[in-house]
Amino acid sequence: MEKVYLCKFSELAENQVKKIENKAHGDIAVYNLGGQVYATADLCTHATASLADGDIEDDMIVCPVHWGQFHIPTGKAQGFPCEIDLRTYPVEIDDDAIYALVEVDANMIAKG
Amino acid sequence: MSNIIKTLDVTERLDNLKQVCDLDEGRIAGEIFYSQSIYEQELEKIFARCWLFVAHESQLVKTGDYITTTMGEDEVIVVRQKDGSIKVFLNACPHRGNKVCFSESGTTRGFICNYHGWSFDTAGNLVGQHESGIYEASEFDKSKWGLREVAKVDTYKGLVFATFDPESPSLQEYLGPMTWYLDALFDNQEGGTEFVGGCIRSTYECNWKIAAENFVGDILHAGWTHDSAARAMLGGAVAKVSDFEESYSVNWNGHGYEFALDTVGNVAVLGESKLNRYIHTIKPSVAERLGDFRSNMIASVSSCTIFPNFSFLPGQNTVRVWQPRGPNKIELFTWVVVNKSAPDDIKEMWRKGAMMTFSPTGVFEMDDGENWEYCTKTAKGRVTAKQDLYVGLGMDTFMEDTHLPGNVYQGQLNEANSRAFYQYWYDLLSAHTWSEVPNRNKGKVEAE
Repeated sequence: MEKVYLCKFSELAENQVKKIENKAHGDIAVYNLGGQVYATADLCTHATASLADGDIEDDMIVCPVHWGQFHIPTGKAQGFPCEIDLRTYPVEIDDDAIYALVEVDANMIAKG
Repeated sequence: MSNIIKTLDVTERLDNLKQVCDLDEGRIAGEIFYSQSIYEQELEKIFARCWLFVAHESQLVKTGDYITTTMGEDEVIVVRQKDGSIKVFLNACPHRGNKVCFSESGTTRGFICNYHGWSFDTAGNLVGQHESGIYEASEFDKSKWGLREVAKVDTYKGLVFATFDPESPSLQEYLGPMTWYLDALFDNQEGGTEFVGGCIRSTYECNWKIAAENFVGDILHAGWTHDSAARAMLGGAVAKVSDFEESYSVNWNGHGYEFALDTVGNVAVLGESKLNRYIHTIKPSVAERLGDFRSNMIASVSSCTIFPNFSFLPGQNTVRVWQPRGPNKIELFTWVVVNKSAPDDIKEMWRKGAMMTFSPTGVFEMDDGENWEYCTKTAKGRVTAKQDLYVGLGMDTFMEDTHLPGNVYQGQLNEANSRAFYQYWYDLLSAHTWSEVPNRNKGKVEAE
């Protein structure tokens, strides 16, 4: 398990999503849903798109390209064209710092 | 910008135009309402060049609000941008040409093509495709394949116009002094106007010009064509226009406004006395804002066409575009315009009133439809199409000595505006470039 620093909690406004670049594990999207922080992979599982460029609607992230939706807390794909769930990461908040706990998965690294 | 549309190569002008349209002699021929070759020239030399009405700003309130319409036969999307500006795109995917937006209006994040999942944001940028990796592998340049954007968009008092032609004059120059008259309806109260209700769409089997010309300056037909409708709505005949002491026909660049100064003649045909009272109530404030003269125009016996196909009736407050659909067919888009500041019950009365009178179910509209269809259909006859049609009323009525702007003619029972409309039509069909369009305006640019 690797602890990856994402951003400061104080710099993530309510109902905001930010993309954190990460070469090793793939970019991570970090969300503040009404004070609750979540992290998922940033790359849409359908086509090339940064989910952080999308809109948050309730507890869904809407992909900016084909408007597919994922459930932010669980990463569940909500229907066409998104059918593969999004990878999610547990988060830890230490003082003002948000971390994602990334399971180092040989498979994931191989896929890039 | 790479996504600006390609402009058309200019084709040769038709060689028989003088035979079908000679306004110095006050004649046209029915052929101009039925000929396929003339129609194709119109799509290129008029609809792909002129400023065309596409929307009212009240239809596009917030970011992502859009409407779909047509410019000539070209389908377009009109959409409000994040920065508050308005963009107009061809409603066709730059991949295989499929239509990307099928609804008439709404609010959206963008437009996604049903065919291969090409996705565009509201600024028209291509943001992705289904199987995007394939495109990336062939070094596809997304920035060059956004929705095709029209050359220019501009607004006047809430009216949004667009043109496909980067060489066209500015909207201000195109409208010229007609704006002074447009203000009588579109800027007579603080806050301006808005459309209420949706767009009413209907079709006629008539040529677009016969309808546009009716609004540019043909009040003459009303007392005869609309007699029975007027008796139903008003309980009496249409006002006898020749009895008006003062009335005018004004034109510029083929646009025309004909009007009396009776204040309420048009609104009266809606048969709602509350609307007449509303007009009388606002009149003093209009006089303060626009002067006494135009305060007499706000709902008077009057009509207007902005060349080529945007028309309205002050008072009935019906606004329409005669969309060309072939030489002998139009799709009519109709909206109802009201002052934003008007009370809600007044707005609602206007919406219903316009439907009772000037809409597919309206008692006045159907009177016109029958006439316009047969003005067009008789020209199906090869011999009939070649015969002269008279458009010569009021040849010597130009007013040299007037404070009014534009080309001003005495009296609204006058075919001066119709002649100016067909002259501009002739001039555009004859011109390869805008600089070849002769300036026939001889009136004042500004009011005195």
